Amino acid sequence: MKKFLSIILALTMFLSLAVVSANAEDITLDVIIAQYGPNTQEWFLGKGMDGSNFVEKFEAANPGIKLNLEVVSWNDLYTVVSTRISNNNAPDILNIDVFADYANEGLLMPVSDYCPEELFKDFFPSFIDQSVIDGTCWAVPDLASARALFYNVDLLKEAGVEKAPETWAELEDASQAIIDAYGGDVYPWGIDMTTDEGQAAFAYYTWGNKGGFVDDNGEWALNSDANVEAIEYAIGLVNKGFTNPNPATQTRYDLQDMFAAGKLAMLIAPNQLPTYVADKEGKVNLATAGVPHNEGATSSSVGVMDRIMAFKDDAAPDQAARNEAIGKFLTFFYDPVNYVGWVSMEGFLPAVNSAVGALVESDPSFQAWLDVLGGAKFYPTTKAEWNDVKQGVIDVEQQALTGGNVKELLDALQAKITGK
Amino acid sequence: MKRLPESRSSRMRVLILIALAILLTAAFCSLPFLQFSSQMYVKRSPNTFVGDEKYLSAREAVEAQLETFRAQGIDGVIDEQVIERVNSKNEKTSMIIFTINAANKRSGWSVMTAGLPASRWLILALALGAAAWVLTLISLPPVIGGNVRNAFGIAAFICALASFFLIPIVPLQLNLNLSRAVDLYLAGEEVRGIESLLPALDRFLFGGEAGDQLETMLSALNYSILPALILLLIPAFITICASILGCRRPLKKTLLRVALYVSVILFSLFILYPFFVMFITAFRSNAETTDMHFLHILPVNWVFSNLGDTLDRGVLRYLINSLLIAGGATGIAMLCGIPAAYAMARMDFKGRKIYLGFVIMSQMFSPVVLLVGISRLMNTLHMNDTLAGLMFINAAFNQAFAIWLLRGTFVSISSEMEQAACIDGCSVLGAMLRILLPMAAPGIVTTLIFVFINAWNEYTVSTVLISTATNRPITVGITQFSSFNMIEWQYLFAAALLATVPVVILFMLIEKHLAAGLTAGGVKG
Amino acid sequence: MRSVFVRHRWEPYLWILPSILLMLIFVVFPIGIVFRLAFSNISRAGVVGDFIGLRNFQDAVSSAAFPQVMLNTLIWVVSVVGLSTLIGFICAMVLNQTFFGRKIARSIMVFPWAASLVIQASVWNYIIKMEYGNLNNILLNLGFLQDPVNWRISYQVEFIWECAIGIIVTIPFVTFTVLSGLQSIDTAYYEAATVDGAGFWNKLRHVTLPLVKPSLTVSTVLNIIYVFNSFPIIYTITKGAPANKTDTMVTYLYMLAFYDQRKGPATALSVIGFVILCIASGIYMMITMRKEDGGI
Repeated sequence: MKKFLSIILALTMFLSLAVVSANAEDITLDVIIAQYGPNTQEWFLGKGMDGSNFVEKFEAANPGIKLNLEVVSWNDLYTVVSTRISNNNAPDILNIDVFADYANEGLLMPVSDYCPEELFKDFFPSFIDQSVIDGTCWAVPDLASARALFYNVDLLKEAGVEKAPETWAELEDASQAIIDAYGGDVYPWGIDMTTDEGQAAFAYYTWGNKGGFVDDNGEWALNSDANVEAIEYAIGLVNKGFTNPNPATQTRYDLQDMFAAGKLAMLIAPNQLPTYVADKEGKVNLATAGVPHNEGATSSSVGVMDRIMAFKDDAAPDQAARNEAIGKFLTFFYDPVNYVGWVSMEGFLPAVNSAVGALVESDPSFQAWLDVLGGAKFYPTTKAEWNDVKQGVIDVEQQALTGGNVKELLDALQAKITGK
Repeated sequence: MKRLPESRSSRMRVLILIALAILLTAAFCSLPFLQFSSQMYVKRSPNTFVGDEKYLSAREAVEAQLETFRAQGIDGVIDEQVIERVNSKNEKTSMIIFTINAANKRSGWSVMTAGLPASRWLILALALGAAAWVLTLISLPPVIGGNVRNAFGIAAFICALASFFLIPIVPLQLNLNLSRAVDLYLAGEEVRGIESLLPALDRFLFGGEAGDQLETMLSALNYSILPALILLLIPAFITICASILGCRRPLKKTLLRVALYVSVILFSLFILYPFFVMFITAFRSNAETTDMHFLHILPVNWVFSNLGDTLDRGVLRYLINSLLIAGGATGIAMLCGIPAAYAMARMDFKGRKIYLGFVIMSQMFSPVVLLVGISRLMNTLHMNDTLAGLMFINAAFNQAFAIWLLRGTFVSISSEMEQAACIDGCSVLGAMLRILLPMAAPGIVTTLIFVFINAWNEYTVSTVLISTATNRPITVGITQFSSFNMIEWQYLFAAALLATVPVVILFMLIEKHLAAGLTAGGVKG
Repeated sequence: MRSVFVRHRWEPYLWILPSILLMLIFVVFPIGIVFRLAFSNISRAGVVGDFIGLRNFQDAVSSAAFPQVMLNTLIWVVSVVGLSTLIGFICAMVLNQTFFGRKIARSIMVFPWAASLVIQASVWNYIIKMEYGNLNNILLNLGFLQDPVNWRISYQVEFIWECAIGIIVTIPFVTFTVLSGLQSIDTAYYEAATVDGAGFWNKLRHVTLPLVKPSLTVSTVLNIIYVFNSFPIIYTITKGAPANKTDTMVTYLYMLAFYDQRKGPATALSVIGFVILCIASGIYMMITMRKEDGGI
């Protein structure tokens, strides 16, 4: 009955719109933005950087389009989104990291439906590739960060480690040297295997051992020998006492803080680390290097990318106008005037070419990070099982931390993922 | 009044008092012999053996540091601690910890008497002693008379005088740590703590004459706060002793009483501890919240602007929303709950038990579990993202508790007056409104506040239902301070403080009625 | 006697109608939806599909973490409800004495009740951090410790912390319920018992307990329900890590629903929890209320 009513309603609306299409009614877009840092909310909804926020600017520049924009913390983001989808109340535009689940269920619109050609060409092609399933692009990247090894130069030097470790063997030697030198005062190596971001640890070690989530054909290969070796190596670091004491509950916040306080000598962290560390007391003399890898493998940096996607809304009265509005939102968002401020505010890396110039000009170190990002590997987020895999590897790591057998655990996970 | 047999009991008391007195005297007398010094700088040099090249260069660096201290007028001595151990390669290794301590290590006595102008010292000490005297006299039980009383008063006076000397240690210990201040000073940063506190102390004690000397003097004080605390507690101990000795109760009872006080105080401290942490952290600077090297119980700089900053970032709006939601929920819950509770208390009807079961069953799902269902319901009702939706949800999830409390209150009030009124022709509703409700007011207030606080503290449902930032209640609004990149503990706790204080005050105001209201719940029906 | 207030047979129902409506719409309706979802296929993104019978229940029960989670839930409920009842009872006995500062003590007792659980859990999470946590900070400052202690050395210890925090925040509820019972006891009972030569324990057993029991019974049932459904403490401090070893049922099903995106099994679990709660509190009420027609 309700469906019937809404169809009738939609039809009448459509007819009336067709008659007076020139005088179209306001379109309201529901937008959910993930909260990246302390300034996200201010930038979108608060006072903004220059007195007026993004929403105000957008609505002033695009009369007839209203934004119902919501900034949600990462802690609650998945809860909010999936509850709303379950209730057929998906947002129009969503900013999140995963997309394959939504695309496979037919909830998303292809990017080509709404994204202006010009803007689409502006995205880094390698980024766009990460959002393509079977030739259709379902989401556009909003920003990225690259992960690299950060180390405390002074601590390493004092401990007699002359250069940052490149291989796993060197990492162990360096860790041992730090332990020898400082006893328990300094943790040599930071590991984060928490429920929040444990999949990153999986990537750091397996990619440094020619392993990874998928094999060369793009099929899941979670229990490969390389992966088992890599995870056992990581767990070994913990068991030898080279790491922070509670990898399962010490999040990246804790690691950052320890690093800033000179209690942690090395960690793999996103490119924004120096900005957070600068806020803290004590001046850490830090430097970066490639993520350590196993003998015979190569170092591969880890890129993390979040996305913006648009959901279908069959009940929308005028699909074309809605698509156009979404396009306008994207165009406005990626306009260098706005986008550069957004990306640099939290120290992320851009996803569009047009922003690079201004960013590098403001901070030359951006170029180096963009180069790192160019060679970075990304999570296999285009695969439908990605979310299960992500939770699965975190579970494996945490089980292994409490004494589980890595090989058996990974075998079980592989069977569970591919068995479906 | 009963007179107790004098002999054994009073001898015991005297013995206990003497033992305590010896203990306290010992503690007090040891004070001048305690050594105070202060650490100004620490450098750890690993893989270093005494005399090798690394040692020499490290030593040189430390000496350079000492020179900079001397340039500021603080003399120090370098202390070396060698930690030897065998490393993983079975080699002997050693780490050397260099510390610069302030040179003028002083005895406790010298600290006590250091440079204080006699007149000021006397005035302050006398004032404190007098206060202790009066306090002791007041707190002594009236049965103690004459000489004993005066003796205790004088003892308290002397102890207070003594403890006065160590008072500078307390703010010093709590508020500034010289080594850190120097570090910050060298780094060219503003050091508000030391810059504002020292002159103030100087003005107060020395009329502004001590100047740099004060800092030197204070630098001679060490970390150890325990002796000072012990001394400050002496008047309290004395009072306890006095009550043991002077009270006419049996000894066992007196001891029990002391045990009661001690346990109540300890437990209260334990309960208050997280709130204390919340309070002090709310006023720390961002850097200090995660500081791992220099430990301070209280913030070095009280950053009161944290509160203002959180208000600027929308917290004020969230507080108002929370107020509206909790207020609305309470109103709805009471409107539905009072009639139901009344029916339960005063009327007999078929299905009463079924209704009871229904009420209890409705509580068995936590809102967390029902998120999907609730959210869908709100969609259907077009109440998504509205305060009204949260009001109804909170009211519904607090119905059982409200009905339970109200019913108990009503049952505990005799129904005779209402019966009389009803027989006289007053309607049942009128009887309830005019007779029962005024009498049940305390219970109703209790229930009201319960529902209010539960609604105020609700978190999960609001997370999902509210999407507009300006509609968020405070519990959800707080999450913006723990974002993807970092947790801003100081803002988190400042906002938490703002959210907690009104509720705690509210609760404390009705604390008297709490028990009365709850009584009700349990009375048989 | 009650009949004075009932003039028509339907009148009582009119009185309870608003509350029934409120709960029907806002509690029972969502419960109904959850029951329906428990038997439906729900996609990862959250789209609700067809009826699939008991498969969600099978999935939920057969998962590797399930036994551990059930054990944790049992430990959590029994330890938190049990210990908070015990300690709360003692607190109430103490607070029922007259002593100087009793009012202050009672006001302080109210604190953990008044503050939001999310906030208290965050504070405790901050307190027990090893590197900059406040507990280490204070103990080091006062000279009780020389080196920082890792208060979260293993997940067992973390779970004990969570239970302890659960106990702390539950104590006030019990204390005030018992206190209310204690205050309503006529002192004549105690005087009579003293005349009979009863000591402290005898008075406790034969006077205090029987008289406090009615108020304790209902509060314990509500307590069991609240503690079973309590979510913020564990979610804030460990999120169930490592590998669900510190999860209770509610946090586990939350993780299942919103992190693992497996809403089917999650809703099935919540139905299982509901049934367990019904049975548990039913049995408890039957045992304790056999003789009286008390409470609700």
